[in-house]
Amino acid sequence: MQTEKIKFKNLEKWEGMLAKCIRCGYCYEHCPMFKFTRWESDAPRGKNILAHGLLTGEVELTTEIAEKSFSCFFCKRCEAACSSGVQITDIMLDLRRDLVELGYKGPGTTSITARSCARCLQCVRACPHDARDFVDGEGIVVDPVKCKSCGICVEICPIEAITIPLSFGTDTAEMDRRATEFLQSHTSAKAIVFACNWSYHSDIQNSKLPESETHDKEYEILVNLCGGRLDKNLLLTPFLNQAWGVLVGVCPDGECTHDGNVAAQKRVTKMKQTLESLDINPERIHLVQIPRGDKQLFQAEIDTFMEKLNQMGPIR
Amino acid sequence: MNTVDLPRLREIVGEKNIKTDPLDLYIYGADASVYHAAPWVVVRPDNTGQVQKVMAYANEAKIPVVPRGGGSGMCGQTVSSMGGILLDMKNMNRILEINMPDVYCRVEPGVVDDDLNAALKPYGVFYPPTPASSRIATIGGEIGNNASGVRSVKYGATRDAVLGLKVVLANGDLVTLGTYTRVEASGYQLEKLIVGSEGTLGVVVEATMSFVPIPEFRCLGVANFDTLRDAGNAIADIMASGTIPSMLELVDDVAIKAVNKTMNLGLKEVAASLLFESDGKVKEAVDYEVQKMKDICAKNNGADLWYSFDAKEREQIFMGRKKLFPALSQFDTSMASTSLADDMAVPYSKMADMAAKIHEAAEKNGIIMTAYGHCGSGCMHTKIMMDTSKEKQWEGAQRAIAEIYEYVNSIHGTTSAEHGIGISKALAFKTEKRDSLKMMAAIKAALDPNNILNPGKLMQAPDNWVKATNLRYAVNS
Ligand SMILES: Cc1cc2nc3c(=O)[nH]c(=O)nc-3n(C[C@H](O)[C@H](O)[C@H](O)COP(=O)(O)OP(=O)(O)OC[C@H]3O[C@@H](n4cnc5c(N)ncnc54)[C@H](O)[C@@H]3O)c2cc1C
Ligand code: SF4
Ligand code: SF4
Repeated sequence: MQTEKIKFKNLEKWEGMLAKCIRCGYCYEHCPMFKFTRWESDAPRGKNILAHGLLTGEVELTTEIAEKSFSCFFCKRCEAACSSGVQITDIMLDLRRDLVELGYKGPGTTSITARSCARCLQCVRACPHDARDFVDGEGIVVDPVKCKSCGICVEICPIEAITIPLSFGTDTAEMDRRATEFLQSHTSAKAIVFACNWSYHSDIQNSKLPESETHDKEYEILVNLCGGRLDKNLLLTPFLNQAWGVLVGVCPDGECTHDGNVAAQKRVTKMKQTLESLDINPERIHLVQIPRGDKQLFQAEIDTFMEKLNQMGPIR
Repeated sequence: MNTVDLPRLREIVGEKNIKTDPLDLYIYGADASVYHAAPWVVVRPDNTGQVQKVMAYANEAKIPVVPRGGGSGMCGQTVSSMGGILLDMKNMNRILEINMPDVYCRVEPGVVDDDLNAALKPYGVFYPPTPASSRIATIGGEIGNNASGVRSVKYGATRDAVLGLKVVLANGDLVTLGTYTRVEASGYQLEKLIVGSEGTLGVVVEATMSFVPIPEFRCLGVANFDTLRDAGNAIADIMASGTIPSMLELVDDVAIKAVNKTMNLGLKEVAASLLFESDGKVKEAVDYEVQKMKDICAKNNGADLWYSFDAKEREQIFMGRKKLFPALSQFDTSMASTSLADDMAVPYSKMADMAAKIHEAAEKNGIIMTAYGHCGSGCMHTKIMMDTSKEKQWEGAQRAIAEIYEYVNSIHGTTSAEHGIGISKALAFKTEKRDSLKMMAAIKAALDPNNILNPGKLMQAPDNWVKATNLRYAVNS
């Protein structure tokens, strides 16, 4: 596999740390990308191994590798779990810097803008990470090192010109599909809980519970990457599929790295108005703020919400 | 490589469950060991039928197959040193049944240990063999390695929890081994034979495991010692006293210093610390056991004695132990922490001597070693810290390990109590089991005549473990 050795100027400084990664794998089970594909090549340990291979020249740089390197949601679950204090996301960012210099752009999980872009520049203003810019003659350009894949721009674009091509199941279409599937396949189904990846951390990582425990489930928790990405159609989907209610969990004010909770609040408020106009109790959609990883609180909020729904009964 | 019939494999498991890109193969060439060797193809079956078909094909074509769970083995168990098919079991991840009246659960092999415990928790029970790596270790991998952990002193290892198994043999046949009951009389206990076989005898596709009630009270104590000998004597006395601790951990001075250096936890830098724990349904009983262990520590010159039932306080104390791993990794910028000779077990009365021997061998051979471990089960963990880019350091490590193993054998200990054999412990394994190697080879040949299941591991691995297959590190002379 060894070809002419490429110099990775920025990645180089991590050589020692990559040798210190003991490859225990503690980092991957909670990674949202691994949860979706269950392939190690999409998981943090796999990427560290690749970075090590690139540095030693054992791995030949390909567009597929670049694509992997531009894929991350920066939730940092991996770093929190690492047994050896490896700065996984910093290493990946330096690899990205090198890749950009070598002419690669991802996109991986970073956003891309279609030609149909109307140049309203709403996304440039909305990007919380300063990753989008308007360049004369080129249109909107995305900095694939700065982009943190939050998807705020995808949501804000009025003509749907922005996409995140590799969404790992976090895009609206997939959420929509899963919400519909759950509500249609469970006679016991009453609610959909949209939780952001930061506010909710499931105990069960990748395993599946016995049928006996899931067949009479009343609600399904769908983890998205940021409450700011929930659009009005997605919030409506459960109601169109006979759900009794929808609960949305986001980070507390000031804690969302993307300010997505503010956007979510606005959308939930609008949705309440829509429900009211249809003569449906607006309490059937509710937003809660959950500090990072506070499972107990989230569960308590879910329980309270379900109790309320049970009092209200189904929508007639 | 070209001998693999990819279209046939695709037909069996579907395009979505096959990886052949060099980048995937490179990644799947690693586990938590010092080795790296890429498979020819990664295959991820969804169900037992697919496993049977993959095995039947591999057997016919004589292609090596390495089953893999979380890939957290530390001795090269899942490294494809002979190439072939890497059988990734992570898609078979269903908890099939939690049967409370009959006190067992049935799971597929890809179920993660922590997930199983999260699912059992609402029932007030837990699955106890749990290794430290429980957040990623799969039940299949735990069976493969006969994993155990901090609580095994009281609750046993994986082998003790396995009631029955469904296993796909090398030729693709499916067999059901064991029972659903607690006891089973005569006849070969084939389900227990599979436990610890490191994927060399068959592929586990379903496991029936027992579980135990979650104790209502847990109490953790600490004692510091000025000499390792005193700590060692305390361990032996505790174990001989009839007390059954739910955890008994030793941490040596190198480990304490490492934690202090990198984490600034301000732990007292003594020669050794003991952590002792008791658990149970009745507070008085737990209290009694902890008091007893505390008194034994005091009798053996243990100081700074402290204990608590409070979960938060226990967590704080245990923090130092938990931070040990990262601390050792960051011990010195030029050194990596490697898992070699990392899980010996020795008779209780020899714990102190063992720790002293480890330090002596390390110093003599120019490497740094630390001793810590689940002393309640006689298990002594070490980490070797060395500059992995230097060949000389590898030679030093080899010599130190040989000396330590010789000592372990001389005192009737075992060179691998927990993490398994794979490649790195093969020489020691072969030495220790020399009079039963023929029997093992006969079993292997009977069950896997074409030698396709994880070949080149256990008794088949080369003696020179440094040169057995590629090292993951770039080593310069
Ligand atoms: C940081 C760290 C801490 C650890 N702590 C402990 C500890 O405290 N105690 C302990 O015992 N171990 C420990 N280990 C070692 C290891 O994590 C465990 O032994 C664990 O059980 C391995 O599980 P796995 O799913 O990763 O298995 P893998 O590494 O994937 O596989 C282990 C073996 O089982 C075989 N195998 C896997 N699945 C199957 C199957 N379905 N059928 C047949 N064979 C199969 C494989 O071929 C291999 O030989 C630790 C490892 C690390 C990195
Ligand atoms: S920060 Fe990126 S790589 Fe790490 S767990 Fe989150 S998504 Fe995965
Ligand atoms: S958790 Fe840390 S040490 Fe373990 S594989 Fe991931 S990055 Fe490496």
